[in-house]
Amino acid sequence: MVAEMTSKERVLAMLDKKPVDRVPVITGSTMVKEYIEKSGSVWPDYHSNAEMMVNTVSLMHTDAGLDNIVMPFGMFIESIALGLEVKMGRIDIQPSVRSFFNKPEEVKYDNFLEDKFVKTTIDAIKLSKEKFPDAAITAFLVAPVTLAGDLMGAENLSVLSIKCLQKEKQMQKMHEWIDVALEINKIYAEACVEAGADVLYYSDASASPNLVMPEFYYEVGVPAEKELGDFVHNLGCPWELHICGDTTPIIEGMASTGANGLSVEQAVKMSEVTKIAGEVPVAGNITPLLMVEGTEEQITGAVRDALDGGAKASMLGCGTPPLSTSDRLKTWVKAVADWSAEKL
Amino acid sequence: MDDLPEEVQGIIEELDEAAEDEDEDAIEELTQKLLDTGADVETITLKKLALLVMDGEEEMTQGWTRVAIQIGLDPFKTLIEGLATGMSLIGKKYENGEAFVPQLLIASNAMYGGMDLLAPLMKRDENSGSKPATVVIGTVEGDVHDIGKSLVKTLLSANGFNCVDLGNDVPASRFIEAAKESKATAISMSTLMTTTMAEMPRVLKMLSDEGIRDKVMVMVGGAPITTEYASQIGADVSPHDAASAANWLKAAVFDFPPESVRWG
Ligand code: B12
Ligand SMILES: [Zn+2]
Repeated sequence: MVAEMTSKERVLAMLDKKPVDRVPVITGSTMVKEYIEKSGSVWPDYHSNAEMMVNTVSLMHTDAGLDNIVMPFGMFIESIALGLEVKMGRIDIQPSVRSFFNKPEEVKYDNFLEDKFVKTTIDAIKLSKEKFPDAAITAFLVAPVTLAGDLMGAENLSVLSIKCLQKEKQMQKMHEWIDVALEINKIYAEACVEAGADVLYYSDASASPNLVMPEFYYEVGVPAEKELGDFVHNLGCPWELHICGDTTPIIEGMASTGANGLSVEQAVKMSEVTKIAGEVPVAGNITPLLMVEGTEEQITGAVRDALDGGAKASMLGCGTPPLSTSDRLKTWVKAVADWSAEKL
Repeated sequence: MDDLPEEVQGIIEELDEAAEDEDEDAIEELTQKLLDTGADVETITLKKLALLVMDGEEEMTQGWTRVAIQIGLDPFKTLIEGLATGMSLIGKKYENGEAFVPQLLIASNAMYGGMDLLAPLMKRDENSGSKPATVVIGTVEGDVHDIGKSLVKTLLSANGFNCVDLGNDVPASRFIEAAKESKATAISMSTLMTTTMAEMPRVLKMLSDEGIRDKVMVMVGGAPITTEYASQIGADVSPHDAASAANWLKAAVFDFPPESVRWG
């Protein structure tokens, strides 16, 4: 038996491969409509107002009982700060990047940290660290392949991911994009860690076999993520890596990046990926939609399947859907606690 | 192609290179040389085009499309038996888990590259009987994911359908208007987000309200869309990927009343 831990201790112990008092429950994105309304935040201000952001995202911890507090809400901060066009969505639809650059030279990031959305993330980290010292304060960031995809356009990334395997010239082009992305990643990562983030959670959504060649992931994606991850480790911070879709063919590569934890979605079989990932803790992989319309039975079943499959943290596949209900989130947390009491 | 005489194979290789270099003069000269050997250049060209599209070789596909034009191959035959056949081949592989999305995308670029050259030669005779069936296609409102939608469009075009592409983030009413305007045979809707799935039943309801639900078939798709969901909301089908969507629709139009009967 491990003595009772705080949420932060629990998450950090899991990432450090140490025993925990119960399995941590964590999340990636947290733009939950019910909590936005409950905390009195207003669209679209909560994306650029640190106080509103913290008031809303912290309800995932204080009300639902999750172990981490995650900010910002979506994967558009890097892009908007670089001057790309972003459509702000709705209270229940996340913002989306609508334009891209033609050449890597067009990307200017000298004033990246001055951007109001970047600043909001940084301020929100500081504020939540102050207000909730017992929770694992987590920055939700865009990983290098996905950021490169936002810079050049996702379809171009997909096409280039095969062309660069065939022609050296295309590989050079790919590296130019990835290098710019990595520079930006590092500036943002350093600011987040300095602000006090306990964990950096990186989504590399576009590194998925659903969009790019798995060979490309191994040849370009893994080294890029590793370079960024090593940088983050040198700052003294652990990091998690999420990739969408059926990641079974690339989980070995994900595990080799040095990430302290991997996050996978419901398209994979947990027992299969935990076997391949070996030592590296895997989090997942509850179908997010269950938080919107799942029954208690379904939620509990999905939680237990993932944990029986060897997951070391419970997490929703690709993040928390905006229309999630607080009672379902609580059912999820309870199911994890029950499983832990029984099996740990 | 391996059983061709050595001389012919040699010229084919030279043509590949000229096509890769986009050297139009060399292509013209080599095409003549190929014809002079007496080989069945038409069959060779169609086979070549299918393989090049399948492999996503855009420049070479364009080069060999020039060959097709020079030897006077019927542009429709070039499209259907050459370019589109290649797209279907890679689509089949993708369906079987033997190919990935980037391969579909480069094949699609290659096919369109060839089609651009054929387009000016394909002036349709307005009075000639068989008009291709029209599909109105788009990603629903609130969702900007359109890579899958465009692949569905590519495969439908490759199978002879005329596509009216509304793009992404398409309001429900636009689907209805476009279907009426184009006297569509089918509507194809995509979404990749659970948050925007509910737009699909809205479009179906509008179709019913307008009294035109029975005039069009409705296909829905995208990662979160299941067959159960499709039937639950009253869509006709949700094939699981772009290649099967095209195959399904091709079969389904046979049992569907023709445009003139449906739209009057
Ligand atoms: C590329 C991508 C983007 C690009 C899209 C660029 C573009 N022009 O399309 C960008 C960066 C803009 C983007 C933005 C966002 N995205 Co996004 N994105 C992806 C990603 C990585 C790949 C999607 C893709 O293109 N796949 C390849 C295509 C070919 O597959 P497909 O569309 O499924 O199509 C196939 C089949 O479904 C089928 N099909 C498709 N349509 C139809 C139609 C019919 C009739 C039929 C029969 C078949 C069919 O055929 C296709 C080929 O066989 C996925 C994650 C992943 N790895 O899957 C996330 C993902 C889809 N995005 C997601 C989200 C949440 C977003 C954002 C809200 C924020 C964010 N996280 O970045 C915004 C969207 C805002 C908005 N309002 O739309 C979530 C969706 C979660 C959910 N289930 O609700 C995913 C799953 C990942 C994630 N957690 O971030 N995204
Ligand atoms: Zn994901």
